[in-house]
Amino acid sequence: MQQFIATRIFQGLITLIIVSFLAFFLVRLKGDPVDITAPPTFNEDQKQRLRELWGFDKPLAEQYVIFVTRAVTGDFGIAYLSKRPAMELVIERLGATWLLAGVASLIGLSVALPLGIISSLNRNSFFDLGSTMLASIGTAMPSFWLGLMMIIFFSVRLRLLPAFGARDPSAIIMPSLTMGVGMAAYLSRLTRSAMLEVLNEDYVRTAYSKGLITRTVVFRHAMKNALIPIMTVFGLQLGWLLGGSVVVESVFSWPGLGRLMIDSIGVRDNTVVQAALLFFSLSFISINIVIDILYAVIDPRIRFD
Amino acid sequence: MMSKTHRGVLVALLLMVVLALVSAPATAQDDEMTEFVFAHTGPIRTMDAPVTWFGSTHWLTNLLYECLIWRSLDGSGYVGQAAASWEATDDTTWRFNLRPGITFHNGEPLDAEAVKWNIDRVRTREDFMVHPQWLFVNDVIVIDDVTVDVTTHQPHPYFEYDVSFNGCQLLPPDYMAEVGEEEFARNPVGSGPYMLTEFSESDRYVFDAWDDYWGGRPEVDRVIYQVIPEQAAQVAALLAGQVDLISGVPPADREQLEAAEGISLVSEAGGRMQHLLARIDLEAGIMPEAYPDYQPVTLDPRVRYAVSHALDRELLAEVHGAASARLGRVCAHFPEGGADSFNSPEAVAANYDPDRARELLAEAGYPDGGVKIYLDSPTADARGGSEKEVAEVISVMLEEVGFDVELNILDPSAYREQVQTSGGHRDLMLINQGCAPSLVPLFYQCNWPSNLARVCNEEWDEVSNEILRTIDFDARMALWDQWWEFMFELGMQMTLYEIQAVYAYDSENFTFEPRRDGWMTFRGNIGLADG
Repeated sequence: MQQFIATRIFQGLITLIIVSFLAFFLVRLKGDPVDITAPPTFNEDQKQRLRELWGFDKPLAEQYVIFVTRAVTGDFGIAYLSKRPAMELVIERLGATWLLAGVASLIGLSVALPLGIISSLNRNSFFDLGSTMLASIGTAMPSFWLGLMMIIFFSVRLRLLPAFGARDPSAIIMPSLTMGVGMAAYLSRLTRSAMLEVLNEDYVRTAYSKGLITRTVVFRHAMKNALIPIMTVFGLQLGWLLGGSVVVESVFSWPGLGRLMIDSIGVRDNTVVQAALLFFSLSFISINIVIDILYAVIDPRIRFD
Repeated sequence: MMSKTHRGVLVALLLMVVLALVSAPATAQDDEMTEFVFAHTGPIRTMDAPVTWFGSTHWLTNLLYECLIWRSLDGSGYVGQAAASWEATDDTTWRFNLRPGITFHNGEPLDAEAVKWNIDRVRTREDFMVHPQWLFVNDVIVIDDVTVDVTTHQPHPYFEYDVSFNGCQLLPPDYMAEVGEEEFARNPVGSGPYMLTEFSESDRYVFDAWDDYWGGRPEVDRVIYQVIPEQAAQVAALLAGQVDLISGVPPADREQLEAAEGISLVSEAGGRMQHLLARIDLEAGIMPEAYPDYQPVTLDPRVRYAVSHALDRELLAEVHGAASARLGRVCAHFPEGGADSFNSPEAVAANYDPDRARELLAEAGYPDGGVKIYLDSPTADARGGSEKEVAEVISVMLEEVGFDVELNILDPSAYREQVQTSGGHRDLMLINQGCAPSLVPLFYQCNWPSNLARVCNEEWDEVSNEILRTIDFDARMALWDQWWEFMFELGMQMTLYEIQAVYAYDSENFTFEPRRDGWMTFRGNIGLADG
């Protein structure tokens, strides 16, 4: 087990190095940051001096080595425009993004698991058809549209919830619901199909024939096995929530990392973009390592070593 | 029985509902404090003002910092901020008399030495975006504690405009020396009517009124700039009573907002002009790489003139939703705008001549029409315009006189990347730009670094430079007359209309008067409705 964890962490580090490489070179593909940042009144000489000041005149390979050397100590440089350390800006926003992704995941799981399990136990019933329909709607609804509709209903009509920001504790309800709905819809279908597959296994029939009640069969026998694919997808979705919540963050003006990254891409503030990208990757890799470890906890048949 | 996991989930959900209920109304304000919330589209870049040249960031810094002087609300002149009075003592020297005894928020004196430190900082720091805008300054001479002379390299007729432009904000030198720029960016200190008391980078900025401001404590206690990137979300927040002012109201939302109780709409010239820009060369921008074999029809000036005569600018302004038809490149409220010659309704109407457009096309070798021409446009711009619809109407107008138009409409960010900053247009592109007379002559000079066109006419350059050093108003106007002749002869940049900025605000609680320059900065233009 320890060897497995060490191997996964090592793989994660290799992935991070690759991401750092991509983060560094892909942002350069957008073009010269000085060209977009400098006002039209800058002539070529002035732009060149700016490149020298910001270190963009050095060869790309040298810039990359400097970037990586500093990044391992947590120094991503000073944001060109805000003049604050890029790392500080990212950490400032990280909490809001994690909180939103966490609450959205909680909503997604707490809706998806009961819906999927009950649907699988009552296959082709009205409940099953109803939950299938809800899942289709949930998957098909664009988060942008759903978010705006919620603002119009809960903020404009009922005047119950704040339409933007993260200052009020209740401000998290609408953005997390918006993100959680899509996750719930997808996971409920997956739970249903995973459960159906497991419920047809011999050991489940054996459990029933021993006289165990449905709840015991479902939660002690079937669910543990069905959880493996659900957790795999949940891990991927959580990673997506951490990195792909830009739309929801924009609609609700949630001060998260996604919005910081979009703003920084717009002004080609590479220091912040690179720091944010690496943090996204780090979160994603960490989640997947945890999920891998949980496999063994949930299903003792899995032996990593 | 319910499992522990299920109980936990249920408790969490119940907790959220309870939180929602107990916290409503969401933005309840302290009864004692008047709070005015403006929805800013963002991003906001820095509070160290001279670092950036983006106006939308300076909307905020102008609450926090004083300049020497500042543009008046209606754009007709200038008002003193740190300077109580000022005058030109000769063609290249301006004397500023500071308000005696004024200080920064931390008590540090705002004296002549502080002014010198600030102007020297912006004109010598090459990493500052505003640096080139301050190269007109030759020297800053401290006469005494409250008197400072600013000299220029040459006579500078637009000195007041430039000295009240981005980078004019005065920062406390001692505090900056003590804490350094990084810490200053976290805890900025100014001398304006408001202090920055709380902020989350590019998200929310809270300004509280300063009791000791030389002009008296502002009527509104707290001004908040809340970044809300989506316009639809801004409109919803205003309707929900959670923000008090939004700008760039989209045309589709205006009717709904006008009908809403306690909300008023107001519009004012926003300091931006919409133009149709024609390609006049094969070298500018990415043309050689992107379209190496393409021959733009607009290289022929007669085709460009034909385009201009084909456009009914009054109709285009109407389609935009809030605009005034124009022919001149400079905003109408500046004396140099040529308001009578180019921007009066009569002058604009006279230019619309589809028959003349057809004649010009025939002269250019297209007697039977069918002239293929590409037009690039963004879907919309941040000021709530309807660029896409305008571009569609332009294409109909052009087709009526014999063009075969191919429209290329892009999302604003894609448009900025692929067309506007890279010079990726083939024939025509829509572009909106500022209109200050001190800057406009620079844009068409041989040394101007532009991706959109290579304009170089040494005679025109000389006229432009003469404008920028002629103090005498009548002599300068005579030069502008010459300048306009060059401009119309080139026919590259066809001005369509001056964009009106449309605002919606909570008129039940506040008064609001928009600024003529479109800046969303709040000094003397917001107040209490019953105050």
